[in-house]
Amino acid sequence: MSETILKMEAARLVLEGNAGPLEILRGVTLSVARGESLGLVGPSGSGKSSLLMLMGGLERATSGRVEALGQDLTAMDEDQLARFRRGNMGIVFQSFHLIPTMTALENVAIPLELAGKRDAFGRAAAELEAMGLGARMDHYPAQLSGGEQQRVALARAAAPRPAIFLADEPTGNLDGATGEAIMELLFGLRDRHGATLILVTHAPELAARCDRVVRLLDGRIAGEELARKVAE
Amino acid sequence: MTLALAARIARREMRGGLGGFTVFLLCLMLGVAAIAAVGTVRSAIEVAIRDQGAVLLGGDAEMSFTYRYASEAERAFMERRAERVAEVVDFRSMAVAGEGETAERALTQVKGVDDAYPLTGRLVLDPDMPPAEALADVDGVPGAVLDPVLADRLGLAVGDRFRLGLKEFRVAARLLREPDGATSGFTFGPRSIVRSEALAGSGLLEPGSLFDTHYRLLLPAGSDLDALKREAEAAFRDTGLRWRDARRGAPGMQRFVERMGSFLVLVGLAGLAVGGVGIGAAVTSYLEGRVETMAALKALGAESRMIFAVYLVQIGMLAGIGIALGLALGAALPVLAGPLIAARLPIPVEIVVAWRPLAEAGVYGALAAALFALWPLARTREVKAAALFRDLGPGRRQWPGWRLGLVLAAIAGLLVAVATSLSGVPTLALWTLGGVATALVVLALAAFALSRIARRMGKRARGRPALRLALSAIGGPREEARAVVLSLGLGLSVLAAVGQIDANLRGAIAEDLPEVAPSYFFVDIQPDQIEGFRARLADDRAVTRVEAAPMLRGVVTEINGRDAREVAGDHWVVRGDRGLTYAAVPPEGTKVVAGAWWPEDYAGPPQMSFAREEAAEMGLRLGDRVTVNVLGRDIEAGITSFREVDFGTGGIGFVMSMNPAALAGAPHSWIATVYADPTAEAAILRDLASAYPNITAIRVRDVVDRVSEALAAIARATAIAAGVTLLTGVVVLIGAAAAGERARIFEAAVLKTLGATRGLVLRSFALRSALMGAAAGLVAVGFGAGAGWAVMVFVMEGAFRFEPVSAVAIVFGGALATLAAGLLFALRPLAARPAQVLRARD
Repeated sequence: MSETILKMEAARLVLEGNAGPLEILRGVTLSVARGESLGLVGPSGSGKSSLLMLMGGLERATSGRVEALGQDLTAMDEDQLARFRRGNMGIVFQSFHLIPTMTALENVAIPLELAGKRDAFGRAAAELEAMGLGARMDHYPAQLSGGEQQRVALARAAAPRPAIFLADEPTGNLDGATGEAIMELLFGLRDRHGATLILVTHAPELAARCDRVVRLLDGRIAGEELARKVAE
Repeated sequence: MTLALAARIARREMRGGLGGFTVFLLCLMLGVAAIAAVGTVRSAIEVAIRDQGAVLLGGDAEMSFTYRYASEAERAFMERRAERVAEVVDFRSMAVAGEGETAERALTQVKGVDDAYPLTGRLVLDPDMPPAEALADVDGVPGAVLDPVLADRLGLAVGDRFRLGLKEFRVAARLLREPDGATSGFTFGPRSIVRSEALAGSGLLEPGSLFDTHYRLLLPAGSDLDALKREAEAAFRDTGLRWRDARRGAPGMQRFVERMGSFLVLVGLAGLAVGGVGIGAAVTSYLEGRVETMAALKALGAESRMIFAVYLVQIGMLAGIGIALGLALGAALPVLAGPLIAARLPIPVEIVVAWRPLAEAGVYGALAAALFALWPLARTREVKAAALFRDLGPGRRQWPGWRLGLVLAAIAGLLVAVATSLSGVPTLALWTLGGVATALVVLALAAFALSRIARRMGKRARGRPALRLALSAIGGPREEARAVVLSLGLGLSVLAAVGQIDANLRGAIAEDLPEVAPSYFFVDIQPDQIEGFRARLADDRAVTRVEAAPMLRGVVTEINGRDAREVAGDHWVVRGDRGLTYAAVPPEGTKVVAGAWWPEDYAGPPQMSFAREEAAEMGLRLGDRVTVNVLGRDIEAGITSFREVDFGTGGIGFVMSMNPAALAGAPHSWIATVYADPTAEAAILRDLASAYPNITAIRVRDVVDRVSEALAAIARATAIAAGVTLLTGVVVLIGAAAAGERARIFEAAVLKTLGATRGLVLRSFALRSALMGAAAGLVAVGFGAGAGWAVMVFVMEGAFRFEPVSAVAIVFGGALATLAAGLLFALRPLAARPAQVLRARD
């Protein structure tokens, strides 16, 4: 049995909406092994992204327990969570979320700087080179195409060599070919660094590349299967 | 058709409310309100001066003379034309209370009046009584009314006695309001009023004494003032007659109000320019949020022109609202604060709403709004329909095309034309507007430089995330730095300039002058007293220097046989009467720079030595003939030398000096300056004033205090006007901070996702704000120092000294204001949960 890197027990998430409290996650229990790739699938509004946010400590569970690398995320305050993410988690979003006032290089260097790494910019540059963006380092996000922006975001997530990659529909805003290239890079990163990958996606073929797939429905786990079956 | 449709679409667009336009409306409102308020107060004072011309003047017309009473012919002229004539004699003297060692002395401006005074208006006394009763003899002692300041300084109560010269008076009442008081201009001492007849035997109005006489005329209804003025001036040309009439009853005050009002309006214009920056930023930010709508309109077939019209109509309507709000506020404030303002004015003023200043403020507001909003508006034409499916934004900021450039230049030109013609001080208006424009350009360049420096420094700050994040934000593509530096920088520049000029003027008066200035001026020393006067001071070891000179006063009427004003224009030497002296040999320290001084026993045709600088300004040359009217007698003298005269040291300086024989027989007195140890000043005054009660002593330190007080009042008014500018700057600053909040919320969320703590995010936001504020402050100090230098050197003709205290305060103030605004809008970004923020953007 391989080591568990991420564990959730009866995790619930209730958000206050205009129409009153809205239960997004209704008691999710789940564990992910080190090095595993897990696909989260399900219809819109089923709670996939929220589950990912709980795993990344970006959202706080209303009740239940979320544990990553042996640490209880639900017991941490916001700053402790921020420090925990440094070097441990690399997160990629559908909308890239690059900081518009920073160049590509600066965007990639931030997590390294925050983690106090010495050669933050050297490493950031190497990461961008590896993504094929050597010529775009001094460009601002607005000067990059969508695919380029997502590659910068990937480089930013990968730069601190995190143990866990969280990716929220990373190809959702990209065309097919660009999306394919991004997925190659993402799985390549995961393979190279032996990291755990948790991927939220709508695309069955992407989910099929994962070791395991969890299907969510209405805030609950509706089923769990091996990836091959999803593809079929 | 286009416009009607545009207006319809604009109306629909505005259904969303005016929420995003708070800064726009506030900026325009504050700028317009400041100008309208200043204009309203100024207009009320001007109306008061005009309507109460006769009261302020003390009659329908006034004929004044220096050094003498009216001649028989002049009296006959007045009595023939006026229904009543009142004679007033005005001079400085010492009021003395008590005897011997304990006697108290104070300088006073004495007014001797006859039974007819006051011809117009009412003397308000405490206790209330008619002037005739107050000034009447009681037990053989004539009455006097004193300014409460003077009475308190001398410790005098109603019923107490005091002396003017050799004569004793009784305090009959305290003087609360003097109807013609505002026309006296700048006086050194508080007022006292007595009957002229009571001054006989006081020894104060001897031949050669310094005094003025004013004859107030009450004319029959319907008198032609112009004709009368021409008649008087023709009949008594070159006798030193000065004419004033009720049309401009208080010309000095009127000029002051006009100048001060214009100056404050110009400061208000600077405020409007600051508001303009906010207007531009607000319009830009609003239009950026409307790109999708514009793109959709384009996709549906709207032309660029239509889209421009839609937003032009919207901004135009908003500008109308802003201007209307500003006018309402600007008109209401002075009216509400009317009693407070009126209490501080020397004449009764009723502050009411007047349309002209409001129209003026409205025009300024409309022009400023157009100037600053059109450029961002024009960029709506660049929006492409493709923005619907690609995030293109309204395009990068570019220089305006030639057509827009022409329109902007025309609006700017119109603004300059309006300001120069309406302000009444065209040169100052041009300088101010030029200064504002320069400041805007300098600040824009400074913002650009700051951005570049921040980008470069950002590389050096690697490894210090808070600092690097702050520098990236300043150096990044968003235009926050420009908005902050421009808005706050301009407001601070005005304040810095005011601070530097004020500190320099105060410094020049309070510190520099007394180092070289004498302790006392003594005037009205009779020729037979000058020897005794000198003897008293000669043995006093505390006295370091005494200068004395005979003084007469005369009017320069002709130069080389031509009217002096035609030759020398409006030069101050030919305006009114000037001091004049004589000397057989050049007084000690005289530097003759051209020509030669007359021989000691010279008795030929009159010769004159003229001050070099003034001669050069008036275009005089050696050999020119100058005619001076002294007490009604014309003396024509040839200029035989030029000499250096420094009027800045506070010592005795005469523009004109003549050979003694030329002025022989003309009644005159002496003036003297005494340089003494401050501890000995009191004893010197006591001895000299006791021995020669007719002599008037003016303590230089008191004069300095009076001038400083007057300057402080002007500085206060200016600081308030500059405060409005700064307030507008702060509004723009808050607007910029608020506009940046969304971006900061997002940045904070991403940074937290990447592992930044709230402390680090906060440090970075604080650093960013403080750096931008400090940069704005630094530029403002530089600009303020430049403006201060220009004013001190070119306007005041003095030296400029950089004043570090106000400068440091400005830089700190800038940093603090920006920091406060930045931190105020950092709270939400810090509190926001990253997941919610980022999800909302997906």
